[in-house]
Amino acid sequence: MNTIKLVVTAVDDTIGGIRTLTLADPDGAALPSFTPGSHIVVDCGGSANAYSLTGDGNSPTAYVISVLRCDEGAGGSRWIHDELALGDTVAAGPPRSAFAPVLRARRHLLVAAGIGITPMVSHLRSAQLWGRDVRMLYIHREGRAAYADVVAGLGEHASIHTGRAEFTDELLAALADQPFGTHLYVCGPASFIEYVTGAAADLGWPVSRIHLEHFGSDALDPGEPFAARVTSTGEEFVVDAGVSLLEELERRGFEVPNLCRRGVCGECRLPVSAGAITHRDLYLTDAEKKAGDALMACVSRGGDETLEVAL
Amino acid sequence: MRPDLELTSVPGWALTPTRPDADLSGRAWTIVAFGPGGADIARDWLAQIASAGGESAVRLHHVDAGEAIEVLTADLADARVGWRLMMAGPAEACLQLRGAATGLGVADDEMTVASTEVDSRAVHCVHCGAVTRARVQLDEVLPCGSCERKLLVYYHVSRRGGTYLGFMVDAEEPAGAVS
Amino acid sequence: MISTPDLVRTFPFPFAADTYRYSTNVEPAGSAVPTPVGRWGERVVDVDSEYEHELAERAAVLATDPTRSAVLPHMRPACWDAMLTLMRELASGYPDSMSLQRHGAGWRWRNDRLGIEQDFILGDESTLPAEPLAYIAGQVQEDIVLLDQRDGDLFGDAGVVTFAADWSFGFDVGMTFLEIHGPVPRLRATGVITRAREFLMRLQPGETYRRTNWTLTIGRRLDVSTELYHEWGPDRTMINGVTDEEFGRLVHLRVEVQHLIRLPESGSICFLIRTYMLPLADIAAVDAWRVRAAAVLAELPEDIADYKGIIGYRDRAVQWLRSA
Repeated sequence: MNTIKLVVTAVDDTIGGIRTLTLADPDGAALPSFTPGSHIVVDCGGSANAYSLTGDGNSPTAYVISVLRCDEGAGGSRWIHDELALGDTVAAGPPRSAFAPVLRARRHLLVAAGIGITPMVSHLRSAQLWGRDVRMLYIHREGRAAYADVVAGLGEHASIHTGRAEFTDELLAALADQPFGTHLYVCGPASFIEYVTGAAADLGWPVSRIHLEHFGSDALDPGEPFAARVTSTGEEFVVDAGVSLLEELERRGFEVPNLCRRGVCGECRLPVSAGAITHRDLYLTDAEKKAGDALMACVSRGGDETLEVAL
Repeated sequence: MRPDLELTSVPGWALTPTRPDADLSGRAWTIVAFGPGGADIARDWLAQIASAGGESAVRLHHVDAGEAIEVLTADLADARVGWRLMMAGPAEACLQLRGAATGLGVADDEMTVASTEVDSRAVHCVHCGAVTRARVQLDEVLPCGSCERKLLVYYHVSRRGGTYLGFMVDAEEPAGAVS
Repeated sequence: MISTPDLVRTFPFPFAADTYRYSTNVEPAGSAVPTPVGRWGERVVDVDSEYEHELAERAAVLATDPTRSAVLPHMRPACWDAMLTLMRELASGYPDSMSLQRHGAGWRWRNDRLGIEQDFILGDESTLPAEPLAYIAGQVQEDIVLLDQRDGDLFGDAGVVTFAADWSFGFDVGMTFLEIHGPVPRLRATGVITRAREFLMRLQPGETYRRTNWTLTIGRRLDVSTELYHEWGPDRTMINGVTDEEFGRLVHLRVEVQHLIRLPESGSICFLIRTYMLPLADIAAVDAWRVRAAAVLAELPEDIADYKGIIGYRDRAVQWLRSA
């Protein structure tokens, strides 16, 4: 898995409960460009959390993320608030795009609650560059108006609320009255997203016009470590989280045919004589996966029992 | 060897007459009906929408193929998201209207197509650009109405044009051969 | 040797085995592939000794038939994105003659090989002599197709394709990736093209992959689009009547190296198709190529040979290579 090392060059705690970090390349080099709406997955002292990128997206010198402190959960946001300091280094994955503006949209209706404003910021930046028609509905808690200046830049095309009833009234009126061609983008807590998308569907919005920030739930997670054994040599070893069976076998000097290294081409298929398989490829058929006697070494993994690779 | 047609760009409703139900997930509808067959289906759709309480939000148009794009454009001018397009009639007219709708930004899940007849086709001559309309099946040969080349009617439909690809069937025949 | 030496040295011989079937043969781009006589693949955008000739050929094709180029209105940001990306690739691949620098509020592009220096502002078409996709298409040998990712699918909504191998971009503009490949007999039935689509949809910015495709072309003819099939189709019959010497000179192994790039700002996918051709006479001069090409052609299933349009002279090609 590709990792970028980033150094914390600024910390902004102006808004209670929301910490905004500026992250740069330790050597000052430009960072990879990203599509509006993108996020990075940050290694937060052991757990991995996705945060939207709010800064400039064109070969930027820094990435900017805003992290809401959550008292429940695995502790990633707490780590960022309580442990991470100016000058520290963090590891993150490269930008992933899962919430991009639809190029064909005649208008972009952005609806956000609380920290859900973060993926919208890069949308607004891009909309300005390309002269797009953008409208925003934003609800936040009193005293927690993140990126208020950016939203204010939209003038009368943005509506900011702190009261739920007024927000809901305006939301329903807006959803009922968008010119044909508008696309809807929603981000916020899960219950908020559910409410907004339900309201939109009730008002006839087709699925193709509703976009939710999933933070790329299909992104490959590093997986659990698993034990493997190579039949021909009797070698037994553990494949760590974040390492593929293919990589581990190559490290140990085995030659395994491979090409795409991401589960589509079929080259790295290996026979398996024992052990449950966690299939994560797009190549094997359902029947082949069920048979359990082969796996795609570049993405699939073993389970609790030792995976017996008939190599 | 022809591929499984479901896996090509030819919509199923352009091969077999199809009669889907009205799309009741919408909130406003433009229904375009071509000919008496189309009108019949439109009546059914209207009844289905009425039982869901939406009949006041329907604009129904009985038109010839040539007028369809105009009424679509007019309805789109003040349509709101929640709008659906439903069309019923010969596949050829539906392909053409679907093409225009695609160009105007209508998404696949905002369109419903019912086909009453699938034997007439508009064939695009890839060599001279002319469109020839005729009663012709896939894999049959049709002379181009403009350049007169013998065109194979291919299992490939242009989404935007609503036409079938036609290309010269005898380009590789030796000169002087009698076909 | 018939071809210019650099074309043989950099020829991307497409067969990795003695048999060939359609597969989702994508791999990460940028690494050099060694061949018996040289290597290919280090660059995503490749300029060779045919550069000026192919650019002139492209211009001629477009002047006669403007339908080979199309940009649906919503693809403008993607065209700028593609232009910048291709300029960056050219600058990094050919730093002695090409460069892209920030210049004031905009950019300065330099292409010494064509005597071009152009200052422009991103997003402002009035600062370029042509629309951005057309502009950069006039400076690369690759055909370009831009795919818009929306509605859970990929749409071929912009492109400049002047060297199509028996397809029509003008007809296909606006179609989905699966629809465009619909006519190919085995591609969809085996799931090869569906997997390719899944793969493309998961590409992230900064990721570039590549794959190869191949066929045979008679004559060193770049434009074998369906539009002109009436011109080049008869060659497939004519070829059986020529001498052996002419056969080896006229029949070309035609290889497409395709690069797949996720464009960062627009999120669109840029599909580059770079065409290479060597006559069988030059293929035969490299023994490993001669033997393998013959094996692949001999074993190729009838439906694939038929779809590639080579079934009429495939046997002769095998024989020719084996006795060369």
